[in-house]
Amino acid sequence: MTLVGVYVITLALAIPATLSLQDTIATHLGSSMAGHQMAEGVSLSWWEEFRASTDGLERTFTYSIIGFAAILRNISSFLDRTPPPQILVPLIICYLTVWSFLIGGIFDRLARGKHIGSTAFFSACGTHFFRFCRLAIIVGTTYWLLLSVVHPWLFETQYEKWIHDFTVERNVFSVRLALYALFAILLGAVNLIFDYAKIRVVVEDRHSAIGALLAAVRFLRRNPWPTIGLYLLNVSLYLLILVVYAFAAPSVDTPVLLALIIGQTYIVVRLFAKLIFYSSQISYFQSQLAHANYVANPMPVWPESPTAEAIANSKS
Amino acid sequence: MLNVSRSPLKSQLRLKQLFLRLLCASILIIFLLPLLVSRSTVTHANVQSARVQPEDSTENYPSQRNANYSIDVELDPENRTLTGREVLTWRNISSISTTELQFHLYYNAWKNSRSTWLQENNIAPRRGRDGLASRPSSDWGWIDVTAVRFLGEGDAPTIDLTADIAHISPDDGNPNDETVLRVPLPFAVDPGSTVNVEIEWTSRIPRTFARTGTVGDYFFIAQWFPKIGVLEESGWNCHQFHAITEFFSDYGVYDVRITAPTDWVVGATGLEREKSKNVNGTTTHHYYQEDVHDFAWTTSPDFIERRSRFEHPSLPDVDIRLLLQPEHAGQAERHFQATQDTLRYYGEWFGAYPYSHVTVVDPAWQSGSGGMEYPTFFTAGTRWLAPKTSADDGPEAVTIHEAGHQFWYGVIGNNEFEHAWLDEGLNTFATGRVVDLTFSPHYLRTRFFGGLIPWTFKDLSWSREIYRLPSYRRNALTDPPVTPSYLYWPSSGRSNIYDKPALWLFTLERYLGWDVLQKGMADFYKRWQYDHPKPDDFFSAINKASDENLQWFFDQIHNTSVVFDYELQQLTSRKIVNRGFFEDSGENSFIDGEPEDLFTTTVVIRRRGEGVFPVKIVTTFTDGHEERELWDGHDRWTSFTYKRNAKALDASVDPERVLLLDINYTNNSRTLTPKAAEAARKWSLKWLVWLQDLLLTYGFFV
Repeated sequence: MTLVGVYVITLALAIPATLSLQDTIATHLGSSMAGHQMAEGVSLSWWEEFRASTDGLERTFTYSIIGFAAILRNISSFLDRTPPPQILVPLIICYLTVWSFLIGGIFDRLARGKHIGSTAFFSACGTHFFRFCRLAIIVGTTYWLLLSVVHPWLFETQYEKWIHDFTVERNVFSVRLALYALFAILLGAVNLIFDYAKIRVVVEDRHSAIGALLAAVRFLRRNPWPTIGLYLLNVSLYLLILVVYAFAAPSVDTPVLLALIIGQTYIVVRLFAKLIFYSSQISYFQSQLAHANYVANPMPVWPESPTAEAIANSKS
Repeated sequence: MLNVSRSPLKSQLRLKQLFLRLLCASILIIFLLPLLVSRSTVTHANVQSARVQPEDSTENYPSQRNANYSIDVELDPENRTLTGREVLTWRNISSISTTELQFHLYYNAWKNSRSTWLQENNIAPRRGRDGLASRPSSDWGWIDVTAVRFLGEGDAPTIDLTADIAHISPDDGNPNDETVLRVPLPFAVDPGSTVNVEIEWTSRIPRTFARTGTVGDYFFIAQWFPKIGVLEESGWNCHQFHAITEFFSDYGVYDVRITAPTDWVVGATGLEREKSKNVNGTTTHHYYQEDVHDFAWTTSPDFIERRSRFEHPSLPDVDIRLLLQPEHAGQAERHFQATQDTLRYYGEWFGAYPYSHVTVVDPAWQSGSGGMEYPTFFTAGTRWLAPKTSADDGPEAVTIHEAGHQFWYGVIGNNEFEHAWLDEGLNTFATGRVVDLTFSPHYLRTRFFGGLIPWTFKDLSWSREIYRLPSYRRNALTDPPVTPSYLYWPSSGRSNIYDKPALWLFTLERYLGWDVLQKGMADFYKRWQYDHPKPDDFFSAINKASDENLQWFFDQIHNTSVVFDYELQQLTSRKIVNRGFFEDSGENSFIDGEPEDLFTTTVVIRRRGEGVFPVKIVTTFTDGHEERELWDGHDRWTSFTYKRNAKALDASVDPERVLLLDINYTNNSRTLTPKAAEAARKWSLKWLVWLQDLLLTYGFFV
């Protein structure tokens, strides 16, 4: 149900923009024979005219939406700090806000390990939302520093300095790859701390964002390799999904329904991987910290034992 | 009272003394006078002797050979400097005399930010050329002429002209631009006369701003020596260096000795005649080439050299030398194939490549010297990861284009300052034809991750017809091509130079037929080899080949920036219903008729743009029948009506897409069974996945 819920949210937020684009495309095609070409295949001629004549959302309608290029485009833009299309920024902010709201309920659900009902789910969402907002101030600032200060320093200042006299593209590629790896590690480290901070907010019912962050750091310091290993395992799962989709991604000629199914299956699988990411981290956390009573997990109730009763009776 | 006591003898003696003095004076004058005038007489005699050396310039030579250079240059790679000396033998082939020479000093475009080149670039920089003025000091370059001497013939003295040289700015009067040097002469050089001028200079090689420069141990040296302008009937044609344009010069012989570090590979225009090692760790390479109008060279210790040969049953053999970057070693064959394809197809279509050799240079990464042509020598450009599925990502497209310039630019020496399209446009058109023939399908591609990872869209392939349209469409209303190229708006000039002429040539190909257009281009190639044609010369060649007066077309596409746009404005097909008062039965009676089995189909075509071109209109009916009309395209609109027993299906104006300059082809057709909704749904659902993935990507932060 959690998976269904987050998938519906992702779809629901994307639908309005999609319908708007659909309408614009249909209007532009009108009664033109280009409509036939685009319905039965593709017309680059029409596509270029469409892009030249439109603005806003329609400018995002590039060739890179086709197949696996869509995924590469997003990852490349993210790592190269290419800002998202301005018209989509409000949608992205809305999406992140909705996720921030839902995360509390999702973590609570995963920590409890059992179905909790929608009332309890949204209650948990509401309980933790403002704590996550406080957390987001700190983490958001950190991400901002990474993206606005560290990234330009690495990829513009330092990168340009290091490759200034390079005459071999392969070497330039190696440098850039190394920078991507370094930046990914920095992003991953912040992300890892943030994940466990969120977990500790929910599982330990912490109110203090700073306290949760410090607690997360302590936990990671005590369990560095398992946490990093788990994180990398989850990243590997994500990469595996990408590889599979790279082969399965629909082409221009894939029938509409089949293309839709494949595309949406990819989205569902990605969301599932994200939930697995969370649940694996929560499970590991809960398996390590046995010294406290957790709000989330129910107290274990041992079954009746005649031997235990006899011992108790003998003592009395 | 006269004193008559003077003796007659004294008088005679005085007279004799006077006579002797006069005689001596006369003798002195007679002897001294030649000496007094000897200097100018010698000079005059030199000029006379120079003047009387008119050569029969066309005698057995393909070109005029009126600008011949003997150059010695030494490269100091450590300091990135060149030290050069040239002797220019220049013959005045115009019909006017001149008392000065004008030279291009291109490197001074990058001397400082006040140069015309940089100022124009800053107004509207081309992609990749923004921020040039903020380069570090180590990046800038210049050329400094240290001596200019007129060399007399035989024992005649040399005249030092250095003190009188001055930079001029004939185009924009920019006092800070030093890309044109005027050398006043103390005499006139008459038509047919020849002068020998020696020039010494030093220059600093820039980190490339455009085309020429150095990075690491790679040096690409172009536009590097003081190059004489072209003397035309109206005077010197020696433009300043502009951001948007290339070059123009006369043909001649280049005899060049390049001294570079030993063991560095050198490549250049022409053929290497000899190589001699010097004691100081350098080697002097002697290159020689006749009948060319420029000379460029390159050197690097990193080049790997490959050789191949072009052979064709009806075209001369050509030796191909390839200087390759080590990381592209696996792409040698792709370079050779592209070069051979060009030599073959251009040779078959237009005329043989006239030289026995060509050198292809694979430029170093970040050198900025790729994709440029020089006589018998050009730079290509490829990527480390260059899939064979796209001609643009690998060496093919650029190699074909630059090899093609050996014909359009190399053999046809048009003025690239003023009519840049005359080589670029023709070559872009021809390149498109060759790519279509040899590299099909030509898939679209893009690059991710800092431009380093290629991605080919195997579902999308370019055709040459639409390849240039997007750029042309963006800049369709820019300067009319008749504007001298150096005056184009810098950031959109390329569209006038490359895209628009290629598109109207594609249009002509479809309108006249390839055979006719090819004949016209071949005639133009043959007539204007080693010469400086102008646009009208090309138009005349096409008119002649087509046996039509196409001036109505050339006037529009060259003298104006009119835009072409024909629209299929309306298509209706309705059953005929006769209703109203009719006198069919002899009486005026009202008939309320039933719909007949006949349909009235009305097709309305509108001319939305200012450009006029004859167009076909094709209307298709449900029974498979087609109606074809030809409209002269002149009026603002026209319509056609058909009565048939089948309904119309669709109609198109210019269905074969003859008029490639039509900037809106979507409005060229209408159908009564549109599929816009289906197409919109299909594509928006693909876009949906991208959007969802985008949201998930940013979901990393939560």
